[in-house]
Amino acid sequence: MIMTNIETVPGKAIISCFGVVSGSTVRTKHAGRDIMAGLKNIFGGELRGYTELLGESRDEAIRRMQQQASQLGANAIVNVRFSTSSVAAGAAEIYVYGTAVTVE
Amino acid sequence: MYQLAVFCVLLALGYGFGRFAETRHYQSITRREKLFAELPTLSLRSAGEDEEAVFKTQFVSANVVISVDYFKRVAAALRGFFGGNVQAYESLVDRARREAVLRVKESCPGASHILNVRIETSSIHKGRGNGVGSVEVFAYGTAVYNAPD
Amino acid sequence: MKFKPGIESLETDNVNVSHSSPVREFVTLLLGAFGILALIYAVSGLLIDKAVDWIDPKTEKALFSDLYNAFDDAESQTDASVTLQRLVDDLQQCLDPGYEITVNLTEDSSPNAFALPGGKMVVTQGLLDLVSSENGLAFVLAHELAHFANRDHLRGIGRGIVLAAMSAAVLGSDSGLDAIFAPASLAGQARFSRSRESQADQRALMALNCHYAHIGGATEFFEGLKRRGDAGDTAGTISHYFASHPDAQSRVDALSALGGDSGFAQGALRELPEALQ
Repeated sequence: MIMTNIETVPGKAIISCFGVVSGSTVRTKHAGRDIMAGLKNIFGGELRGYTELLGESRDEAIRRMQQQASQLGANAIVNVRFSTSSVAAGAAEIYVYGTAVTVE
Repeated sequence: MYQLAVFCVLLALGYGFGRFAETRHYQSITRREKLFAELPTLSLRSAGEDEEAVFKTQFVSANVVISVDYFKRVAAALRGFFGGNVQAYESLVDRARREAVLRVKESCPGASHILNVRIETSSIHKGRGNGVGSVEVFAYGTAVYNAPD
Repeated sequence: MKFKPGIESLETDNVNVSHSSPVREFVTLLLGAFGILALIYAVSGLLIDKAVDWIDPKTEKALFSDLYNAFDDAESQTDASVTLQRLVDDLQQCLDPGYEITVNLTEDSSPNAFALPGGKMVVTQGLLDLVSSENGLAFVLAHELAHFANRDHLRGIGRGIVLAAMSAAVLGSDSGLDAIFAPASLAGQARFSRSRESQADQRALMALNCHYAHIGGATEFFEGLKRRGDAGDTAGTISHYFASHPDAQSRVDALSALGGDSGFAQGALRELPEALQ
């Protein structure tokens, strides 16, 4: 599955368009990571646990979007956009959407 | 009394370690930025390249979560009392943004350029009174390869 | 379109961050905040003193009477509390706060007595256990009466409310800043409180002399505290500045000095009434 966040796929022509496809995940961190993060909050620095967590969530959301696109019969998604919001205390929603298309 | 002592110790620890972490991070950022200086990141949708030359395109993304330290948190709270530039947090978001873009570049070393780079900043703990203070930066774009990796 | 990496020129000067010293900024802000809070506290302290002078005892009683409906008369009608009440009534002839004071006895084992708004005095069982003569007890009761007469209970409550409101409104609850300001405001309040305590001690001594015609037993309570070793007799160390009461030894010294200056006599002590033993 080809993905781009521009309107075209450089070097390829778009043949047909299927409309918007999207994927989302809502994830919350677990207590162990929260304790470590609390410690890190004193010293500063990167919170690797959270970086990984959010990275995994995004991968999962992208996977779901790609699944949706394959169901439609598309082989590429263009103009991909992300949006992150915190729906509840400590839980993050990752939403990704784009336009499913077929390219040659 | 104990409260005050604990506070001072935390403040000193936060300042010392936070400062150390920040200096080291900036050193690593400048070093890696030089390394990847030749890989252009553009916020354009097209670099006007020759369509025939494109070998493949790839969606690339990377994120980083950076925590505030105790000193920064207290300094920012004090700032909140008076208003004005929160200096303590300026370097925090600057580091996070540059780090995220660097990670994007590192994920596609063979690309000729990265198109339409978007940078999204979010606080994952918004509205969570006593939560962990941190900033997340997520960067993404479309890497264009003119030759196989 | 030709790409020209400009990294070298950006490296030396980062426009997105401030370059002034974070510590200097922090200290300046901290001092500023301290200054402002101290000012607010001082001004509101003055206003409270004005307001306290303006509220007469009757209004005070009406305002606070609702508070005490909870722990009322049934339990207080024991022999001990009746005797205690009688002693307080006698003392009021020497030191009149201007309104009726009712005494409650609590089972608490730590020696203490409180003056509550609305003319309610609370005495702990621990206090009765600590003092050995009626004179010693009378001094503590007179001390609380002096607080009523000076309206210290209202001043204390008013300042407490101002402090709580100030830290909640200005500092927020999660900033960590309250950790610096709480001890500072406590120290300020403690200094105020210690000066009020000394004044109350003086008035109590006068009342004791008036009631028994001598000041024997005045220091009994403090001597007792000293024996118990929990009176915070650490003058000179930092904890002194956070104590709301002067330490026991300096109060004993002050009382003896005052007694000597005023020419008050020492005399025979009266036994504690049987109901209070």
